[in-house]
Amino acid sequence: MEISKVVEILKRQQSTKILLLLCILFFMPLLNNLYLNTIVISIGFYSIVTMGFILLMGFAGQISLGQAIFFGLGAYISGILAVKYDISPWLTLVLATVTTGCIAMLLGRAIFRLRGLIVGGITLALNLVFFNLVQSMSGITGGATGMMNIPQLPSGGFMSYSLFIYYVVWLSVILLLVFSLNLVNSRVGRALKAMNLFSGGSDVTAQVMGINIMKYKAGIFAVSAMFASLAGSIYAHYISCIEPATFGVSYSVMIAIMAILGGLSSPWGALLGAALIVGITELLREIIPLFTGGTTGAYELIAYGFILMATLRYLPSGMISVFNRLTKLGDKSSTEVISP
Amino acid sequence: MIETQQKPILEIVDLSVAFKELMAVNKVSFTVFQGDITAIIGPNGAGKTTLSKLTTGLLKPLGGEIWFKQQKLNNLLPHSIAALGITQVFQDIKLFENMSVLENIMVGCHVWTRSGFLTSGLREMHARVEEKTIRDTAWDKLCLVGLQEKASDYPSSLSWGQQRLIGMARALAANPELLFLDEPYGGLRANEIEKLSHLVLTLQKQGLTIIIVDHLLDCVMSIANRVIFLVDGKKVTEGTPSEIEQNELIRHTYMGNALSRGIRRKSEQ
Repeated sequence: MEISKVVEILKRQQSTKILLLLCILFFMPLLNNLYLNTIVISIGFYSIVTMGFILLMGFAGQISLGQAIFFGLGAYISGILAVKYDISPWLTLVLATVTTGCIAMLLGRAIFRLRGLIVGGITLALNLVFFNLVQSMSGITGGATGMMNIPQLPSGGFMSYSLFIYYVVWLSVILLLVFSLNLVNSRVGRALKAMNLFSGGSDVTAQVMGINIMKYKAGIFAVSAMFASLAGSIYAHYISCIEPATFGVSYSVMIAIMAILGGLSSPWGALLGAALIVGITELLREIIPLFTGGTTGAYELIAYGFILMATLRYLPSGMISVFNRLTKLGDKSSTEVISP
Repeated sequence: MIETQQKPILEIVDLSVAFKELMAVNKVSFTVFQGDITAIIGPNGAGKTTLSKLTTGLLKPLGGEIWFKQQKLNNLLPHSIAALGITQVFQDIKLFENMSVLENIMVGCHVWTRSGFLTSGLREMHARVEEKTIRDTAWDKLCLVGLQEKASDYPSSLSWGQQRLIGMARALAANPELLFLDEPYGGLRANEIEKLSHLVLTLQKQGLTIIIVDHLLDCVMSIANRVIFLVDGKKVTEGTPSEIEQNELIRHTYMGNALSRGIRRKSEQ
């Protein structure tokens, strides 16, 4: 089959999936179920942050347990600009995202001089530093009690705020998904995969091929940070009050679990992983109290641990591999695809 | 073998590097001329591969200088050296296992393309045009090595000889001016050796300067314009293949069996 035809098939497959997602998301609010809307908004937030993580770890092979830092930075920068400086909430989204990206770029250039697991350790440590810093800067962040009265995003009053946020979040998910898919199937995506030691790349060979390893590591770190920051900014204007406990290490770990469960080989894995974990969490919240007399608490964490172990043991490529196999069954021409 | 013009493209001046107390390359000097096929030969441990790593920036020299088209390479990073027009095919090839054959070759185009994070993510017109150019270039290089049918396959499904050809195609996709081939004939069957030699000569006709680092004399001597002979990190001699063959010391201590094989193979053809 000619290369151009294969490329066209690949593009059609992706476009079909995105259109299907758009249809589901457009019609879901018509069910008029506030609880369902809230769950789907939550999935949306996690999807955005997890997508950034998948670009960083799944494609570039860089371990990071610091997504919570950037989620928190986005939330706090947005909140501070809106509350203390009365800046338009829409503008605070942009300013927070750009500022976080710049911080991540500088951090990345320092961190990625090192390699391997130590990078994950450093990002974990930074997460703890961030958490304690936010708690201690009570004059700016509100400290342990958090920041309140963060203004809502102007919605024009055409629909409920919850429904408005639903569309804002999921429009962001889809735009970032398209951005991510474009990125991974481009010159930049190949450079990231080339230097990914965990999936068969070689940073030595990548350098000899002209790839500036440091530039791409810092760059993708900044991109993933900006994804998380955007989610954090929207979250702040959605919830209207934020506290440090939301942005701790457990959030970063949750993101990693979502990415691994969904699958690190595709940005679609973020949506799958987020949907599964949020769905399982809600299910556990219904089931566990039946056995414990009302409390869930640490049982959710135990469940996440089992999910992670089972995924790594039986489905190391994540749920996306199952999804890909199912979608390929109905399309014979896709057997000659160039990339997974 | 094609006679070439004598314009220097690479100059190595008193180059040295040490691994702990071992001088892996010891004050080696030579010049490579544009359009030549230069063979760097010598027994195992002579410093051949170390020399290629020094030139591509993977190792930093202890002393000496490396000049490429009047640009000093000593303090440049590997990706900057690649941008100047030097590329390498490794001894162990190192194809990217997480990409298809065609995608591997497309990586070779990275050095002369420019699309960044934003233009690629937004799929701007420039990025789309560039991507098509990359794909077309990669396809052309794949056709050059005669493995079009393997475009969608992954490196793990290829034979060693096929992987080596794909490695060459990837290096050629970078449009280099100087190509290092590190032990290109290792592990190849006879027909694959012939195919590779034919490809190397074709590339020379197209104006590419090639340095072959190998210890298989009967393969390189028939195509090289110039031979540099290393032993224990030092340059022993250099010259044309016939000059090297007539060096009694080299014939006696190193080349005997290989030279005999080469002579027998030529007489059998």
